[in-house]
Order: sequence, then structure tokens, then C-alpha cells
Amino acid sequence: MKTTGFLLVAFLFCLGMVSFSVDSSTPIYLEVPSGWPKPIYNFKNNPLTEEGFELGRNLFYDPILSRDNTISCSSCHLQQTGFAHVDHELSHGIESRIGNRNAPALINLAWNKHFHWDGGVNNLEVQAINPIENPAEMDEKMANVIVKLQQNQQYKSLFRKAFGDEKITSQRLLKALAQFTVMLQSSNSKYDQVIQGKAAFSSQEQHGYDLFKRHCATCHIEPLFSSNSFENNGLTIDNTLNDYGRIKITNNKKDSLHFKVPTLRNIQFTFPYMHDGRFKTLMEVIKHYNTLKYNPNMAPALSKPMQLNDKDRVDLVAFLQTLTDRDFLFNPRFGFPKK
Amino acid sequence: MSKLSNALMFLLISFPMLSQKNDSIAVNFKVNFDQFPLEFNKSYVSAQNDTIQISSFKCYLSGIEIHYTDKTVFIPKTKPHLLDYAIPNSMQLALPNQRKTIAKVCFNIGIDSVTNTSGALDSDLDPIKGMYWAWQSGYINLKIEGQSSSCQTRKNQFQFHLGGYQQPYYNLRRKEINVKSQDNSINIVIDLAVFFAETNLSKTNAVMTPGNKAMELADISAKMFFAE
Repeated sequence: MKTTGFLLVAFLFCLGMVSFSVDSSTPIYLEVPSGWPKPIYNFKNNPLTEEGFELGRNLFYDPILSRDNTISCSSCHLQQTGFAHVDHELSHGIESRIGNRNAPALINLAWNKHFHWDGGVNNLEVQAINPIENPAEMDEKMANVIVKLQQNQQYKSLFRKAFGDEKITSQRLLKALAQFTVMLQSSNSKYDQVIQGKAAFSSQEQHGYDLFKRHCATCHIEPLFSSNSFENNGLTIDNTLNDYGRIKITNNKKDSLHFKVPTLRNIQFTFPYMHDGRFKTLMEVIKHYNTLKYNPNMAPALSKPMQLNDKDRVDLVAFLQTLTDRDFLFNPRFGFPKK
Repeated sequence: MSKLSNALMFLLISFPMLSQKNDSIAVNFKVNFDQFPLEFNKSYVSAQNDTIQISSFKCYLSGIEIHYTDKTVFIPKTKPHLLDYAIPNSMQLALPNQRKTIAKVCFNIGIDSVTNTSGALDSDLDPIKGMYWAWQSGYINLKIEGQSSSCQTRKNQFQFHLGGYQQPYYNLRRKEINVKSQDNSINIVIDLAVFFAETNLSKTNAVMTPGNKAMELADISAKMFFAE
């Protein structure tokens, strides 16, 4: 009995020491706006903390992740353009090497089931291995990134604050990056304010919204303006790339020329559009859907072209611009970390 | 305070004693080519008459179960383990001993689908181990690399990276091996000659994605494992 008492005291003492070191970090939470679905990301396996987020933010903006310390995540994912790579059909990485696709926007990733245009990546945490190791992007080896970080006093301190000690591993690096990127939430556009009754569409925007619901909303589902699905949207193959999309991942013929349905939030600033950046403007995108030639592999919702007149097309663009969220694009919390 | 330090002393002393009481079972994996221990970069001739040199052999073990002659089963709480023939220590697993006669050892060759979708993992599942596909998330279950004059490829190389966690290309293979062991060790042979006896290297020499070919080769590679 006496021994049991001793053990209990010792156990509580140890517990106290453990909880003390963990408690020095500050929990944070992703706020899910009312009416939104439940996030897909599993926060239980990576509880968000202010310190983890801050470490992830430092890593996101640091070219230390690339082989020659020149390219960071933000090189292709710029906050002010919805964390997309504007003005390049195909994104470029280290030594100006050109990749095969247009870097996607990083918006509301907590609701994404798959990542990349072909959905080859199954969890936000393991996405970052791709840009780090892809020869056309950062061309580095994960093991070498770990070595570089271990030699860096600032990161030793950031990892200790985030995880309780200075151990730097790929798991911690990837979890910290996920803590930052999963928080990149855009939910305060004019559209959101209209839905919440805090603002009103102009008659032009309202007409555009009606057209959107009729012609686009089957795949670009509100409120995320996306869906975790892959569709053939009638784009013809670009013979300089021969990118057949999802089929490369599934080996299933039905998935030929299927690409991920991207979010339309902040679409005004994420140009150029499509997986290969072939359309420079929203008007070109709308023209594509307006004059689609039928092909049996296309998404059923696209079986008839939209056939919008000039005024309708302008109104649709006006609605799409209500998805711009300046609070997101200019939120200093998502910007370059303060030193 | 003295009570507290007494208790701490008790804990410090008792932990090593507890662990010493538990003998362990050693599960040894012996990589052979026919009857002989494999040597990297040594020339072997396969049953298909291919001259082969092996430069790498790695595979994941998971879901280990020890079945005893009294029909009881012990499921050790071990994480997936990476066997890497280049690292001798990795070829042995130490499991807690239940002091009973072992009848059968069961394990998966590879990583299950739940683990494959669980995000960033550590230890043997750390992606820096070279057993992870980044562009198509998922672990490589088994890797064999080397050279053969039968391969019309760059530097005559062959590369078999077998994996895939989604149906219809779920690449994991469950293995049951009957053993007779009353002492504390089990020896399991992995005979690469079995793999090359059934693989036509002039036709099949690079498989690095999930698919039908990887499924066929996983079936063949599972036959390499047997009790010594």
C-alpha cells in the first residue's frame, strides 16, 4: 500500500513535468464558418499550435528547402494571388527549370481530400515532399533539408517551441508546414457577406450568380466552389506536354484527361487558368465552356455548351469577382514572417 | 521530499529490472540466393539463365503475429519494420517472449492502406528512408535493384519497386510461415533466386508504379519467404 502511494506520487510528479513542457505551446483552431462542411484534414494527428503554425510559416517562406537556397514555397505560391503562381502557364523552379503544370492556389486546404491536379497526393502532410524533391522545383533531398535545419540555430529554437525539444525530423517539418497551409482559409469574400446577409449583390452580380448556379455549380460546389472530384472538362490534349492527368495515378482508362476541380475562390487573381495555364483570362475560360464540342468522356454536366451571350458572360465574370477575399489575400498572419 | 525521491529511486531501479526479466524472441531474416547468403554485386545465374548482380534489397514488415502450439496468439505492439539488407541490424526483430512453443509466424510484406493515408510518419516510415513515393502518395513495400546483361536498359539496370495501397492494386501480401521453435529464435529465409526464377528480365525490368505488373511480382516475391 505504501509502495503504491509512492508510485502514485512519483507518477503525478512525472506527469506534471511532461504536461509542463507540452503546455508551453498555445493551441489554435481552424474556425469552420457556419454552413460549411466538416474539414477533411485530421487535426487529431497534428494538433494546431501557434508555435507549430509559426514554424510552418517560417519554413514556407524560407528558400533553405531548396538545393541552392533560392526557391521557397512562396516562389510559386504568392499570398496576394491566392497562393497561386500568376503569369506563368507552367510554374518554374530552381535554375528557372520549367515544370509540367500550373501551381495550384492554396485555399481552404483543410477541405481537400486529394492534392495536385491529378490527386496523386493523399494527405496534406505529405504534399511538401513533392516540391522539395522534384528536380524542376526545389531539387533537394529531404534528408539534406533536415541536416541544413539542424545546423540552424533559429530553427532549433522554432522546433523546440513547436514540439518541446530541438529534434528536427521530416515528420515534424511536414507537420509544421501542414499547420501553416491548413490555416490558409478564405471565407470573407463579398459572396460570403451576401450569404450572411451583411451585403448585397449588384443586379449584375446577382444575374451572374444565377448563371453560375445553372451552369457551373454542379462541379464548383458552394461554399468551397470546388469538389473533391476529377473531371474531363473538354480540354484537348496539349501535344507538347501529353499530360493525361488522373489516369497516371489510377491506371483507369475512365480517368484519362481528368483533372481536379479547383476552387473558384479568389479566381480573379489566380490566373492563368487550367492545369497547364492555357487560358490567361476568365473570359477565355468562359468562352471555352460556352462553345464546348460534345465528347462522350466529358463531365455529364457539360454535355451542352453554355451558349451565354456577351452580356451574360460579363455578368458571370462580375459574380466570380465577388469570390475575391481581400482579408485573405492581405492578411499579415499569412505573410512573410516577422524576424 | 524524501518520500518523493524514494519513489523516484524505486522507479529508476525497477524499470531496468522489469525489462531484464523479459527475454526476447529473435526473428532473423536471412537473405539468400539459392542456398547461399546473398552478396551484393556478386554474379549469380538465375533459373532463367540470366546473369544477375543485386545491389539493393529492402522490404517492410508489418502486422506481425506469433501463434503458439496451444492456439494462443501474441500480437506485439511493434511499428512497421524496414528490413534493409545493407544494414545488418535491421535484419533481426526482437519480440517479447511468451515462453511457449511457437507454431507459426504471420506478417504482412508491406504497409496497409490506413497507414498509407495517415500523413507524415516517423522512424522506419520516415520518407527519407527511400521507400516512399511522393508524386503518388504511398509506401514502396518491397524493393529489389541490380544489374543483368539480360536487361536492355541504361547500365543494364533492373529496378523493382513494388507498392500500391488502393484496390484493385493493393500490393500488400499476408504471409503465414509454420515454424518449430522452442528456443528463442526463428529463422526466416528470403531467397531472391525464387523471384528471378519467375521473372523474365528481358521483358520485365522496371516496375515502379502500382498496377497489374506490381501485383504479379508481389505474388512472386511473397514466395521468397519461408522457414529455414
